[in-house]
This record gives sequence, C-alpha cells and structure tokens, in this order.
Amino acid sequence: MSAAEKMSRRDEMETLLPFYLNGSLEGAELEAVEEWLATDPAALAALGEAEAEFSGTAAANEAIRPPADALSRFAKALDAEAGPARAPAGQSWLAQAFNRFMAVPVGVAWAAAAVLLALVVVQSFVQPGGKGNDFEIAGTEDDLAKMPFALVKFKPEAKISDIAVFLGENGLKIAGGPTADGVFRIAIAAETAADYEKLVSLIAAQPFADAVIEGRKPASGG
Amino acid sequence: MTAATETDRALVDRVAKGDRAAVRLLFMRHHARVYRFVVRQTGSEMMADDIANEVFLELWRQAPGFEGRSEVSTWLLGIARFKALSLLRKKKEDWIDDDDAAQVPDSADTPEVVTMKDDKAAALRRFIDALPEEHRTVIDLAYYHGQSVTEIGEVLGIPVATVKTRMFYARKKLGEALKAAGYDRGWP
Repeated sequence: MSAAEKMSRRDEMETLLPFYLNGSLEGAELEAVEEWLATDPAALAALGEAEAEFSGTAAANEAIRPPADALSRFAKALDAEAGPARAPAGQSWLAQAFNRFMAVPVGVAWAAAAVLLALVVVQSFVQPGGKGNDFEIAGTEDDLAKMPFALVKFKPEAKISDIAVFLGENGLKIAGGPTADGVFRIAIAAETAADYEKLVSLIAAQPFADAVIEGRKPASGG
Repeated sequence: MTAATETDRALVDRVAKGDRAAVRLLFMRHHARVYRFVVRQTGSEMMADDIANEVFLELWRQAPGFEGRSEVSTWLLGIARFKALSLLRKKKEDWIDDDDAAQVPDSADTPEVVTMKDDKAAALRRFIDALPEEHRTVIDLAYYHGQSVTEIGEVLGIPVATVKTRMFYARKKLGEALKAAGYDRGWP
C-alpha cells in the first residue's frame, strides 16, 4: 500500500470515527473501522482524540440552558392553536351538575372541595357519562400513606375542570387538602425517581400551578 | 406501558389523534436538544426559543402525516433546521459559504494564547465552537445528537457524501488548530 493510499484510508477512517463512537455505523464501514482499530497502532490514539471531541461537543451543548418556563409557554401556545379541550358527549344530569361545579374558579371551589374530601373517603371519584374529566380524589388511607406525592398550590383563578383534565391525563390523584393556605397533596403513581421528576416538572409547568414542592419520591433511582 | 417508557413514535400516534398530553411529553423529551441545536445554528437564544416552540407546534400540526420513515428526533431536528434557515434568510444574515468554511477557525486569541489559558480539553472545546457553522453542525449532530450519516443528510438536506466531506474537513481543522496550539495528534 502506497503512502498516498495509506493516507487516504486514514482520512476515511478519521471521517467515520465519530459515527463509530455514536454507534450509528454499520455494515462494511463498521467492519472497516474495526479492522483498522485492530491492526493499525495509530488507530487507538485516533479513537482517543475522537472521544475527546465527543466530550468537548457534549460540554459545549450542555452549557446551553433552555429557558425554565419553556413548557409553560408552549402549553399556552398549544392551547391557542388547538382551542379548548373537547367536552365528553352524552352527559347525564349528574355529570352536567358535576361539570358546572368543575367550571367554578378554584378560589371559590376549594372550600367545597375540602368539604367533599372530608365527607367522602372514597376509592375513586369518577365522573359518570364519559372519560373526559375522570380524576380520582382519594384512595384508602393506607394507599395514600404509601404513594409518592408532591404538594401543590393552584392559582386562585384556575379552573377545576382544567386541573381535572390534567390530573386524569397524567394518572395523578388529589390525595389530601386543601390546607388553610390552599395547598393540595397530589399522589403521583411513579415507579422511578425519574418518572416522579418528570411528572413534578410537568405539574410545575402548568399555567394553573402556583407552587410545587416535592414530597416523597419513589424508592428506586430509575 | 408508562408514559416514561412509551416510544416517541407511539406518542406521535397519540398526538395525531389530538392528545395534548402526548405532545407535552415529547416536548419534555426533546425540547432541550432542539433548543440547543437552534442556538448553535443561529447564535441567538431568543431566536432559538421561538423556533423551538414552533417546532413542537409543527409537530402538533404534522403528526397525522408522520410516516415514521425517520426517527422522531431526526424529524424534529429537520424541522428546526428548516425554520432556523428560513428565519435567518428573512433577517438577511450572512451565511458562511464553502470557501469560507475551508479556512482555519477564527478565535479571539491565537492558539498559543488559548493554550496558555486552558488545558487541551478546553482548547478543543473552543476550537469546536469556532468551527464554521456548517462544519460545527455535523460535529454537533454526530457527537451530541447521535445522528448517523444518513440522518444528518436528512436533517440538513444534503447528500451523504457531503456529510462525510464536511465531517472530514471539520475534524481536519480541529487537528490543525490543535497542532498549532502545540497538541500534535498525528492527523492530519
């Protein structure tokens, strides 16, 4: 192999190394790089240099911090684009009454919700006549004691209907509250800490969330 | 299947049916990388903020037509790239052409001065940041976004051979800059 040919092969291998490192190389190109790494003494050093580039590029990108309120603003833009969520069809008088209650601003409805929680320690409270606004207000006391949770304060102007849709979509439950300060305990059915963090971030990003405090997390690190 | 383990494609299917929770989940998964990609493209955090938001609104609009030929991440980066270029063209900002891109990266300091200030890793990061945009983009897409040669071609709308050529020159420039700074790595 001439020097020119050898250099040409080196150029080709150097070009492919980033794709070897990111795991996207396959077929003949993957075989060629692996053969080069196995036979050329300079190849392993070249791989080390590419790994340094890999780290440097990751560091340069990770240094860019996205805005903290990006999800909240996106949710508003999405609502503006998509319009209000559809209401379920074919509701009974009980469901309609329930919806009238749900449309009341949170600031007015909290007292009623507190009474509801005090009177009804239920397995679940599911709206009749459809799935649109199904959210659970409680479980057994034993369940509640075991579940991961976060403490959430909603904005006074928030609509319970919006909160109910959100809770239902994300498998969240109101497990207790409100306190005198209007703080609710939201049970989070997350199996891993990572799932928990995502859901807490999602709650915090909602336009109706005023404050979110992390409570008990799942035991697993996930 | 929990939301955390649901695949991107399954979530796009849900988005196509009007599921807003699914698009929010995709936003949480991909927004940071899309945002960073656009910042690196445009150099503007404000522009990147607007474009990244638009990318996910576009996901909401286009989900019914998504055929799954590419990964969702590749699709989103392609939308981001298109929107960034459109906005930059509207703003009549200058783009670096191929001739400019063939030149050694500029830096406020000479390589020697940079080396005096930083260690090799920091110098390398500076040289990566100083690469011409089209070269830095293929470096970002391969090393940070984990894209294949074909996927980078899809994102940038260029042939596979051009992706490889840009990668070759990008890495060659980094090697030359490091060599000038006293770190000869044996290639080029």
